Amino acid sequence: MPRPEPRTITFTIDGREVQAPENAMLVDAAKHGDVEIPVFCYEPKLGNPVGACRMCLVEIEGIGKLQTGCSTPVKDGMVVHTQSDRVKEAQRSVVEFLLINHPLDCPVCDKGGECPLQDISFGWGGGISRFIEPKRHFVKPLELSPTIAIDRERCILCYRCVRFSQEVAEDYQLVLLERGAHSFVSTFDGHPYIAPFSGNIIELCPVGALTSRSYRFRARPWDIEDAGSVCTLCPAQCNVQLTVRDERVMRVLSRENDEVDDGWLCDHGRFAYPALARGEQSGPAEPVAPIEVLHVDPAAERNGDEEATPDSEDTSQPSIAAPAVANGDANSVHLGMRISEPLLRDGGELRPVSWERALDEAAVLLKRAGNATAALAGSGATNEEGFLLSRLLSETLGSAHVDSRANGALPSELHRELADPRLQAKVSDLEFAHGVLLLDCDPVIDAPILDLRLRKGVRRHAMKLERVAGGDLDELRETAMRLSEAGEELVIVWGERFASGAAGAERARALLDLAAELSLADTAGAGLLEIPATSNGRGLREAGVLPNCGPGLSDAEADGLDARAIAAALTAGELSALYLLEVDPLSANDPFAASADGDHDAWAGALERASGVVAHATLLSPGLAEHANVIFPAGSYAEKEGTVTHPDGRLQRVRRAVAEAGATRPGWRVIAELSLRLGSDLDVYTDKEASQQLFDAVPFYSGLTLEEIGGRGVRWQEREDVAVAVGGGDSERKGEATTAAESAVDDSYTQSRPGAQTPPSSEAHSGADRDTHAADTQTEGEDSTGGDPSQSGGERT
Amino acid sequence: MTDTLLFKDIDEPGLNTLAVYEARGGYESLRRALKMTPSEVLAQLEASGLRGRGGAGFQMGKKVSFLPQGSMNKYLVCNADESEPGTFKDRELMQKNPHLLIEGIVIAAHAAGADRSFIYIRGEYELQADILEAALAEADEAGYLGERILGTEHSCTLVLHRGAGAYICGEETGLLDSLEGKRGNPRLKPPFPANQGLYQGPTLINNVETLSTVPAIVQMGGEQYAKLGVQTSTGTKLVSVSGHVQRPGNYEIELGVPSREIIYDLAGGPPPGSEIKCWFPGGSSSPVLTADDLDVPYDFDSMAKAGSMLGSGAIIVVDDATPIVELALKVAMFYRHESCGKCTPCREGTNWTVKMLQRIDSGEATPMDLDIMASVQDHIIGNCLCVLGDAMAMPIGSMIAKFRGEFEQHIEAARASAELTLAPVPDDERVLAQEAG
Repeated sequence: MPRPEPRTITFTIDGREVQAPENAMLVDAAKHGDVEIPVFCYEPKLGNPVGACRMCLVEIEGIGKLQTGCSTPVKDGMVVHTQSDRVKEAQRSVVEFLLINHPLDCPVCDKGGECPLQDISFGWGGGISRFIEPKRHFVKPLELSPTIAIDRERCILCYRCVRFSQEVAEDYQLVLLERGAHSFVSTFDGHPYIAPFSGNIIELCPVGALTSRSYRFRARPWDIEDAGSVCTLCPAQCNVQLTVRDERVMRVLSRENDEVDDGWLCDHGRFAYPALARGEQSGPAEPVAPIEVLHVDPAAERNGDEEATPDSEDTSQPSIAAPAVANGDANSVHLGMRISEPLLRDGGELRPVSWERALDEAAVLLKRAGNATAALAGSGATNEEGFLLSRLLSETLGSAHVDSRANGALPSELHRELADPRLQAKVSDLEFAHGVLLLDCDPVIDAPILDLRLRKGVRRHAMKLERVAGGDLDELRETAMRLSEAGEELVIVWGERFASGAAGAERARALLDLAAELSLADTAGAGLLEIPATSNGRGLREAGVLPNCGPGLSDAEADGLDARAIAAALTAGELSALYLLEVDPLSANDPFAASADGDHDAWAGALERASGVVAHATLLSPGLAEHANVIFPAGSYAEKEGTVTHPDGRLQRVRRAVAEAGATRPGWRVIAELSLRLGSDLDVYTDKEASQQLFDAVPFYSGLTLEEIGGRGVRWQEREDVAVAVGGGDSERKGEATTAAESAVDDSYTQSRPGAQTPPSSEAHSGADRDTHAADTQTEGEDSTGGDPSQSGGERT
Repeated sequence: MTDTLLFKDIDEPGLNTLAVYEARGGYESLRRALKMTPSEVLAQLEASGLRGRGGAGFQMGKKVSFLPQGSMNKYLVCNADESEPGTFKDRELMQKNPHLLIEGIVIAAHAAGADRSFIYIRGEYELQADILEAALAEADEAGYLGERILGTEHSCTLVLHRGAGAYICGEETGLLDSLEGKRGNPRLKPPFPANQGLYQGPTLINNVETLSTVPAIVQMGGEQYAKLGVQTSTGTKLVSVSGHVQRPGNYEIELGVPSREIIYDLAGGPPPGSEIKCWFPGGSSSPVLTADDLDVPYDFDSMAKAGSMLGSGAIIVVDDATPIVELALKVAMFYRHESCGKCTPCREGTNWTVKMLQRIDSGEATPMDLDIMASVQDHIIGNCLCVLGDAMAMPIGSMIAKFRGEFEQHIEAARASAELTLAPVPDDERVLAQEAG
């Protein structure tokens, strides 16, 4: 579907000639000339303008009436006045009208200080009110939902929340009831507004009518600092802005990045922040002052204070939802409590110990196990942590048994083919594609924010959307073919579980064949988008946390065991120690819990048999409480510094917003210290060094800097050197598409790798070998071991 | 009145049935129109100079020509919401001569290339809706509606939809939203309905009277029709006269006759012993005119020149026994009640105006409040999403401008009587109130 490509035109605003994209709304076009036109109801994210608030009235020469700047597209040669007496009077009158029924309780209003109504009243209002009659009154505040309070007196009826519910989230719950000056926002039936994305209306509200119940009265704008970061609670990796007061995260706001989240957040990402708070405050949050309930269900009343709404269940952060508590697990009483100091199992009990003691004990355990150690990396782990973990295992302990995929390994060349840069769809493609096929994934659960993007595509661009689940390859092919009739830009969004389990490799191959048949690699705007099971699944894989791949998906020195095999080997006593980097395979919500083909007991047995279990964790989940020997406190994403990789290949920076809880140390540092105790210096002393090592080790990250990644992230597929490498293998013919692209990637692995000494392994990866089975792959992998790891080893020391 | 077109046979018993209507030459225009190409019909409409009878007075032919060409779903919607206070002409037309409207719709749909049409009738018109339903069934049966009308290529379905009683649903885009099953709120324009109307398709919306005039134009020819009336206001117009007149009712006049003729000669003027204080020439949303304006010709442009508008052609006469504040309050309360609440100036402005008028009436206002009220009206006019806000602000503004003396007298009298009957307002509050004012 064609993306908008605006022409630049010149128009005159307040006597100055300004260049702006044609047909941009005047409000936006004016910004190109540093002119601000005040708005309340206008919000492009909500779809077409409604022109309801009338705040943006401007004068356009040649048109008699004042026009709303939010809905008038700018044309070449247009002459606009925003400072004429007529405009000023109209804008002043709109402010006066809006304030008629507004309580003007700014001193006690949460929005005070960051309130568009306040700002615009100061900037464009008359300063006095001529209204002396009684104002309109409502009972207030009311509980619109467990997480949102509504104050109808403050509401200026701008329609934003209603439009969000009707046209963005499409939950159709919010409406305006009554008419005229009696209008008010409510749910249609008076029941609480429970929806996966409800919290966005708090941010959309231009006044203090919709406030977060958990943030109410906790801070004023002059008390707080903003800290940009990336939410790593699910693979969607939305960009967030954390509101920090006194080293505590008080609130999570969206940080607009169209290429990632379109400026929205899911309720889980928005309201789960008490779990990010520092240890001493992370217990039950301070009670929220009860307010009158809009609805009849008192049981739901307190839900939102500490937890996400029921609809936005987390799949990746075991500790936030509380199924184990419901099970009555004896060890789960601590669930939900942040771990803020190292814990050591001593006499069967986990006890807080010093870092020295914990590191020593962990080193002893790992040393004893040696290459019989296995490691799993999961949800919260950054690329750097994953990368250092795989170094710890391979270099320090000599073990290749490291995995970040929950359920079975894929042959390494399949990983590479699936990561072919030309085959990667990006998030914004979901909006403009002719068709999107959801394969074994449910966006609203797996990566919620993509759900809104898909809805946007369907609503605004008539995108076709189909779902296929259960791994029926015939159905997949049939559906894809049907969808491709709508247009060549087809994106297949597939969940990691599609290519998991025993049939994983076969299915991944089928998917690649289908992609080749549909020329997805050669079609701009088409491609594959994998949603990994863990938040940073893609990043961990690219950092080398796979049993058969090193950094950059290169072939590993030796094939290790995958997660399923690790469980089996631990049970069988072939492996003795397990290193869990933010994983608890016994926690029901952890993707690894299903890794032994859904067999809970397999992991229970494996952990039972393991002689040493070392874990990094933020919260004490049941498996760790029962089996871990040493637990290092891990930072929440608000406390971490590092990079993660979005499912579409965008490297993003996770930035530290608050100090680590209690005695928590950064994960990279713990791994490095542990390695030192085991006799190998990983040579990492700062977080920047950890990132640098990662960029040096992964060929297609090579040359990246943290500055380049910046606040918006960088898709490695779009970086110049990768593009050049891909350009070399440009092939128009459908059948060769995959092959050519793949060899291009292979080239890039080797060519751009600093210090590469041996010839590229692309010969070993010739097209003929590509369709071979897993068994052959292993041989192939062994063949090529000579090159890659030794290079990286040499470079590191 | 020599040239009655719409009311020609209006009092014929049984005209609402197909048999009588056909006997009186009904559906002849349709037969004639279907033998013409759509552009030929359109040419007749354009030549007639027929202006919309619903209130805005936009040329119908021009409106039809704005519809994009090409094969797409186009719609014709007949606005039978007739919600403007004082207007009751469409009611009589639909009640007594429903087939005329149906015939007009099918012809207009032919000209516009629309094959689906709707009548949006106000909910209160139960009798008229029932009569229309019956007429629709007859017309359908006789082949004047549906597929391949009278054996030609033209098809047109017609659905009658009953509204639920909101003034705003008489506004064309509010009507479209309501017809689509949504809350009846006006839409932002542009896009205009001619481009994106009902279900986002090109839509022609016209008033009952406008569409009912179409058969006559086809029959007599556009140019012949244009000879009626005056230069820019051609043809005849139904006028609903109500208020303080001796013979209220609907009258068909040729546009351009002096207003005095309608009010005095046709409607009998005010009852003996009373004089006209003011009159609304085009429904309660038109600025009021006074007895001095009685000689203004009753046509679109003359009314505009006199500072008011022809609107829907509803003359409401107010005699000198009526207090102007009471009239203003009545009008303002109607529009406050009917404001949809979508845009700020209308929602808050109508509410504020009512509160100020109530304050005047209860003796809590000063003459200074009149300035505030006048400026509030100015701030509403032209700044709203649709014309509902203007519909209150224009008459209220004109009343303040033309009867300021009476407003001031009312304020003083009400204050005096309030001081006698009510406990005195504490001084500090009054000071505060004045400071705020």
